[in-house]
Amino acid sequence: MKISTKIKLLSSVIVAAFFIANSQVQAQSDPSGNRRVTSSYAIKNATITTAPGNTIKGATILFKDGLIQAVGTNVNIPVGTDVINGDSLFIYPGFIDGASTSGVSRPAEPERPSNFDSSNPTDEQAGITPWRSVLDYLDMGNNAISDWRKVGFTVAQSIPDGGMISGKSAIVVFGSGESTNVLAQNTALSARFRGSRGMYPGTPLGVMAKFRDVYKNAELSSTHTRLFASNTGLNRPEINKTYQAMFPVLDKNIPVIFDVSNDLELRRALRLQKELGFKIILSGVTEVENVINEIKAANATILLALTLPEDKTKAKDDATDEYIARTARVKEAYEKALKQAAILEKEGIKFGFTTTGAKAGDMMKNIKIMMDNGLSENAALAALTVNNAQNLGIQKFAGTLEKGKLANMVVMTAPIFTEDAQVKHVIADGYVYDYEVKPKRAANGNGNRNGGNPSGASALAGTWEYVSDTPAGSSGGLMKIEGSGSNLKGTITFDDPTGNGTAQADMKDIKLVDGNLSFTFDVSAGGMDLNVDVKGDITDDKFTGRMSLGNFGSFPLNATKKPNNSNF
Amino acid sequence: MKKLNSIIAAFLIMVWMPTMGQTQKGSVLIKNATVLTVTQGTLEDTDVLVENGIIKKIGKGLSANNVTIIDAKGKYVMPGIIDAHSHVALDAVNEATAPITSEVQMADVVDPYDIGLYRSLAGGVTISHAMHGSANAIGGQNITLKHRYGTFNPEDLFMKDAPRTIKFALGENPTRVHGRGKNIQPRTRMGVEAVIRNGFNEALQYKKVWETYNNALKQKDATPIPPKYDERLQTLVDILDGKVIIHCHSYRADEIYALINTCRDFGITNIVFSHVNEGFKVAPELAEYTMGASVFADWWAYKFEVYYSTAYNAAILTENNVITSINSDSGELIRHLYHEAAKTQRYGQLSDDQALALITINPAKQLGIADKVGSIEEGKQADLVIFEGHPLSVYAIPQMTFVDGVKYFDINDDQDDMRLRVSANETVEPIFLKEHDHNCMHGVDFFFNNFGRSLFQHSH
Repeated sequence: MKISTKIKLLSSVIVAAFFIANSQVQAQSDPSGNRRVTSSYAIKNATITTAPGNTIKGATILFKDGLIQAVGTNVNIPVGTDVINGDSLFIYPGFIDGASTSGVSRPAEPERPSNFDSSNPTDEQAGITPWRSVLDYLDMGNNAISDWRKVGFTVAQSIPDGGMISGKSAIVVFGSGESTNVLAQNTALSARFRGSRGMYPGTPLGVMAKFRDVYKNAELSSTHTRLFASNTGLNRPEINKTYQAMFPVLDKNIPVIFDVSNDLELRRALRLQKELGFKIILSGVTEVENVINEIKAANATILLALTLPEDKTKAKDDATDEYIARTARVKEAYEKALKQAAILEKEGIKFGFTTTGAKAGDMMKNIKIMMDNGLSENAALAALTVNNAQNLGIQKFAGTLEKGKLANMVVMTAPIFTEDAQVKHVIADGYVYDYEVKPKRAANGNGNRNGGNPSGASALAGTWEYVSDTPAGSSGGLMKIEGSGSNLKGTITFDDPTGNGTAQADMKDIKLVDGNLSFTFDVSAGGMDLNVDVKGDITDDKFTGRMSLGNFGSFPLNATKKPNNSNF
Repeated sequence: MKKLNSIIAAFLIMVWMPTMGQTQKGSVLIKNATVLTVTQGTLEDTDVLVENGIIKKIGKGLSANNVTIIDAKGKYVMPGIIDAHSHVALDAVNEATAPITSEVQMADVVDPYDIGLYRSLAGGVTISHAMHGSANAIGGQNITLKHRYGTFNPEDLFMKDAPRTIKFALGENPTRVHGRGKNIQPRTRMGVEAVIRNGFNEALQYKKVWETYNNALKQKDATPIPPKYDERLQTLVDILDGKVIIHCHSYRADEIYALINTCRDFGITNIVFSHVNEGFKVAPELAEYTMGASVFADWWAYKFEVYYSTAYNAAILTENNVITSINSDSGELIRHLYHEAAKTQRYGQLSDDQALALITINPAKQLGIADKVGSIEEGKQADLVIFEGHPLSVYAIPQMTFVDGVKYFDINDDQDDMRLRVSANETVEPIFLKEHDHNCMHGVDFFFNNFGRSLFQHSH
């Protein structure tokens, strides 16, 4: 009761916020200058892939108010249409993310009363909150969402964060801030093998048992409710919001989307599915080759992770025979991991991708690696588009580029999955997002675009002062880098997240390739370890890049090199 | 070098391939061995014929067509060793968050990739009883595993024809975790008994509620309201109905005797006591009212309640007609249970058959599978070990281990790296604190993983 009031309060705040936002937009004048001139666009004379395997050259696509009006070689462009010249551009259906955690915040854990009994917590304390909607915790303005939009994603099934049963997902479009952007809500029930901290259920053992308990008692509660509705003289049913929120799953109206981190967890999810009979989506899947038969038997929908392991055994110049022999099976495991997508394709399983746990910047690289390992281009594109439209049940209006479908597409400078392809525009919900296209790098690998001082590793060594802008404000520190070539070392200072002055961490995996610098470092905050990923370009003594903080999104990070003392 | 490795890898995969999918049954003829049947004496120069996973014939001069023949002249064949108390091949051991967790099932968290399975096969162990930990007065439901190492499917390891069993625990562990750790019942040994008795009483009420409902359903035009479902209480009902065997972690004679009395009050006879260091003090009672005791050969003094111990425990219990077994409770000790059994000949002068029974037919009886395994008899499942040297000798070395007639260990084909799964993320596999990593807030887990236990303390 208390909770639902809170949600009501929260939603009225959201409504109020939208009302204010809308009233600005609908005002007669537009002092912000942000309002677009037209909602009608055409991209002319482009190469359009309407669906995997179906490409039209020299075609035009016309869309208005977020809806595709026409696609083809013979399209009349009405007056008042903003025409984008598509010469040498390639258009694909906007990507659909089967399960996204971008922009989703984790609900605060309820406070524990002084007489808290860890063996018998409330459902909410134990992370069993099927009544929650992700929409109450989703920030569409979050940087993580713009990061994924930038690489071509236009629609996502947003998954609530939380405990073992965290709540209901929703399907959203990555459109303008003027809309709620919700395509469908309560589309799946999100579950994972995550125990509660210091209370029941704490381990996968307890989670499995508790899932059965919730499911079976929801069934009994449903029976009781039905009997009470059609008979007199019966005890009233106890209305329980956990059980009530399970009813759509029992009725098989919505699936359970189980987040699984390996094949053993995948089997556990299927074990529950087999016993209880719900519809199932397996998300974050990484290992399939040993569970193909089980996946097929359960008719499970597969959302493959866009993550891939790093090649830890990459040929080193000084690798000894002993090292090669000792790491042979690690290499084999790595190579196997790259083939999982191809195995699914070969088995005829129409999988889609999930961005959960992945980095937007690595997406295309990883898909290309999967393609090098046997995944076909059509299957890769399908996993990003039509398959997930089907998996999410939105194929009627999304997934392909056809008249009558939503205007979600990605416009690239070269055929998708080719080395030169860059995203030039993303159209989401009919809104056009433009992205800077970098000029092609010199092919001879000199890598120095501006002809200034060589930006090799020797120039990298020294002290850099950086500034980074995050929603929490601007912060900065020093990066000290030593060494050269493949032997770079460094430390980075930053504002201590615990609020006590400056903290320092080692810079790891420092790589400088063609003026492109990347490194990572770890920040510990409140018992949580955060891996920070920094990538960007170095020109002379300036670094322009972004740092990405896992699911929190990415933020600009710029640095300037301080004059090198040793040079004086 | 690289090529050689991929050839070896390909070979390994080929070797293991047949064990994928359905659990496999093998056929084999072992010739000219000294057969230690355990239940029917020792048979010199004898053949054992296995067909389709079952011991078909034991005798001299046997022959068979299209069957692998192994000449075991000068070698010993004994039944596969059975470990009645193990935590090998489990992803999680303790759901240490409530004093009663009879609803949780170890079958849910079996890890078929655990190299511990192969190591135990190398020690001749073919069956282990994968148990919940001892954090709770009533822990989870255990699972009896056949060591069919090589499968990727946990369910292939399940001994499906074994009866259900459950873990109970008395004494310091549950009182420390719940009483001292969380300030809830049980805080003392009295509390442990109260938790168990209350559990059974609630279970009786629960059973009645469902019986009433199910009877009402049979009436014409009745619309009874379904009661709440509770797997925790239902499991306790199943114990009361004799469908589940209790395996209870215990040390002191007083608490053992107290639980015997509790069980007698509730009409429970299916109970085995584990560890039982003071079992020698209540041997007649254990013999009369229980399915026996599963003990360590000589582990003691790793905490206060284990100080009053003797290495003669197994022998005293055996001589008092208690069904007695020796267990490992450890991923290390499981590799040489035959040595542990041999200790009873030094401390107690048990006969060969008595000592071997401690790790074969007796644990089989305690797990309710003695009609299927635990001795070499015609018609039983062909879980067999071939030893160089008598298994009770300090020079004994297991040569081959068979489960259902399929060879899963061969000392002559024992590759350096027998892992089933290798992580792509680590060039050097971390060998410790695995559970600790997964559940860092559940410190109790650490003490129940094999490494943590061997390294820091015995926490049985």
